[in-house]
Amino acid sequence: MVENVCINPDLGKEAMDPETVTKMIILGPKANVSENEIVNQMHLLDLPLTIKQTCYGAMVSGNEEDVKEAIKEVRKLDPYNIFTKDRGFPPGDPRRCRGHRKGPREGFHQMEKEFKLLGFVSDALKNPKKVSLEEETCIPVDEFEKIMNQCLAEGDVDNFNKNENNDKDN
Amino acid sequence: MVKVAIFPPNSLILADLIERKGHEVLTLQKAVRKKVKDPDIDSPPMNLTEEDPIKGLKYAAIEVPSGVRGRMSLIGPLIEEAEAAIIVDNAPFGFGCIGCARTNELSIFYLRKRGVPTLEVKYPNTQDETTDMVNKINTFLDSLPKSNSKDLNQESFVIPGDNKSKVTKNG
Repeated sequence: MVENVCINPDLGKEAMDPETVTKMIILGPKANVSENEIVNQMHLLDLPLTIKQTCYGAMVSGNEEDVKEAIKEVRKLDPYNIFTKDRGFPPGDPRRCRGHRKGPREGFHQMEKEFKLLGFVSDALKNPKKVSLEEETCIPVDEFEKIMNQCLAEGDVDNFNKNENNDKDN
Repeated sequence: MVKVAIFPPNSLILADLIERKGHEVLTLQKAVRKKVKDPDIDSPPMNLTEEDPIKGLKYAAIEVPSGVRGRMSLIGPLIEEAEAAIIVDNAPFGFGCIGCARTNELSIFYLRKRGVPTLEVKYPNTQDETTDMVNKINTFLDSLPKSNSKDLNQESFVIPGDNKSKVTKNG
């Protein structure tokens, strides 16, 4: 374990650049595209990016604007099933890369947990619905009494109409 | 575009929903990235500099365990930067990987105390609950101003039909 957390990695210039951001692209369980397709799509954009294909989707690293542009284009392939999140470490960093850590990397279990909900989230995104965020308060007793009396009165009228109709039929 | 803080601070679902709506999400990974890019730190976030516990003291007293102060030195500045917040209550450890209960309590406390528009939803377990959560978050994000949050109204209200979900708007 000590060797896992005490590695002093020899990172490249890009990985140490404060302007560089890394994003993870995660495919939902109902995705209609494969990891390979999204990686190919990003390569076709011809942007100066570092792209890594992974088991959950892909990882993309580069200038923030380029990364945003790449994600915007990739999302078009399957807008409701492609999810993204930030990543603090650059792609292939030995402190996080599973190949060097001899076990699941940090964040794997989190992704596993959230992956179970991604299918439901994509369904909800496909069928958006406006919900009210206003407070729902209880009706005052007096107002409730008025409404009940009104309903009862309407019920009486209905019964009266029904009786009238029955009399006419007879 | 509004800076939205989330809790759990590294949640994939929350971060993605906020980015889809064009707002800026304040995730923990951004704070960790600053540590990673710092050449003084060999193995972030395991190593701390002498400045980190001092930053953590702003949010937690000296008697509080150092782990809480260390975590708050990363999460605290994100909360200060926030112009809106989304909190998921009763989230399991897997929904965001925060394993420190005291840091969680302190983070939620500071987010509520921050006085920014806050949406609190319950962690969903079924499809209906997930749909409801996503709809509430999207409605809340739509209600945020596109440019700046300074003109938000001062009001508090609770989402109907869910006692545990509430929205607080404090300009």
